[in-house]
Amino acid sequence: MTLVDQLEALLFVSEAPAKLNDLARTLNVAEGQVEQGIEILTERLEASGALKCVKIAGGYQLATKAEFAELVGIYMKPQKQRLSRSIMEVLAIVAYKQPITTGEIEVIRGVQSDYGLRILQERNLICEVGRKQTPGRPMLFGTTQQFLHQFNLDGLNQLPQMDVDALPSLSTEEPKEETV
Amino acid sequence: MRSKPTATSHEITPIGVVAPPPILVQTPAFEGTLAALFRCVRDRKVDLMEVPLEPICQAYLEYLMDSPETNLDEAAAALTVLAYLLERKAWQLLPVEEDEPEFEEPAALPDPTAYAYSDVIQMLLGGHEERSKLFFRTSGPDPSLYEIPYSVGEVTVGDLARAFESLIRRAEPDEIETLGKPRKSLVEQMRVVLLCLTKEFRPITALFVGSYTRNDAVYWFLSLLELIRLRQAAVKLDGEEVLFAKK
Repeated sequence: MTLVDQLEALLFVSEAPAKLNDLARTLNVAEGQVEQGIEILTERLEASGALKCVKIAGGYQLATKAEFAELVGIYMKPQKQRLSRSIMEVLAIVAYKQPITTGEIEVIRGVQSDYGLRILQERNLICEVGRKQTPGRPMLFGTTQQFLHQFNLDGLNQLPQMDVDALPSLSTEEPKEETV
Repeated sequence: MRSKPTATSHEITPIGVVAPPPILVQTPAFEGTLAALFRCVRDRKVDLMEVPLEPICQAYLEYLMDSPETNLDEAAAALTVLAYLLERKAWQLLPVEEDEPEFEEPAALPDPTAYAYSDVIQMLLGGHEERSKLFFRTSGPDPSLYEIPYSVGEVTVGDLARAFESLIRRAEPDEIETLGKPRKSLVEQMRVVLLCLTKEFRPITALFVGSYTRNDAVYWFLSLLELIRLRQAAVKLDGEEVLFAKK
């Protein structure tokens, strides 16, 4: 029984992304050895079969290859998530500005956002991560592991950098002709 | 100055939290969505005199004309925003004896604005699409999954409301009952409704036998809707009439 086989067995039964340190502790080997083993397993799975090893939400998990998506979809009949533009906007703001309060989100968006926050909480994409030490102690929101999993991210560091310099700013020019 | 309507969402949200459609406003003084402009003008972060409103109104009209399925909540929200902006600007254009009080420190625009997240949203949606092609082992229903709104073809909410109205019109007033009466089970009621339904499409009033109260009608109709949602019952339009059947 090789380490790679052992890793394959553990990943096969794992219902959530398996963390490197958990795998190392279970197999009683160093994390580096686990990484090497996963690398070999990934190559082996890529070469043949219907499964692949995916690095997602801070861990490793086995998944069906994309080319089998249609077939598996017919069998599983998955209910796809549909997120509206406004909810995606709230989610993106939380992802980048976390921890953030409802009020701060509303300042950025310009509209009330509690509906979007409620939906995102219901879908376990965001959660309460604490309270802000300001009057009223408003709730602070952050993204969840489920968010990383649903958006195919390994970690928040995979989010693209925002080009803040390219953002619009207020003009200091003299007022122009008045028009309605 | 450029104002253009972009893709809109069609999510039904409670009144008061609906954002206007993402009409993009680009002026030297301000760049962002209509919702952000409203907020900034209201909070005196943008001088409205520097923002021509005519192109924004034009963009709104384009949005109304070009979108075949205009979301009424969004359209109403945009109209409210435009009315506010026009009124505010009209007042500013009137000659006044005293200037508006000036704030000591002009407030800054939120940085970044929601508009700046557009690319990020596209990237996240791309990741989501990619992720939807992967299937993982799960022990049960994924907690993130939620139900896709079930389409009932050309039958609208208005049609269903009309069917309900025809049912409730024939109902008799409820008798006054003592407090703490046992609650009815919708599951039980659904079983009854399922027994009444046939493979043949019939109007809702034809499904009822004998007299019934308004309370019964409400339970009956809710059960019918639940059965439609669970795809155990079907609904269709025959001219003006709404017909129901067992699936």
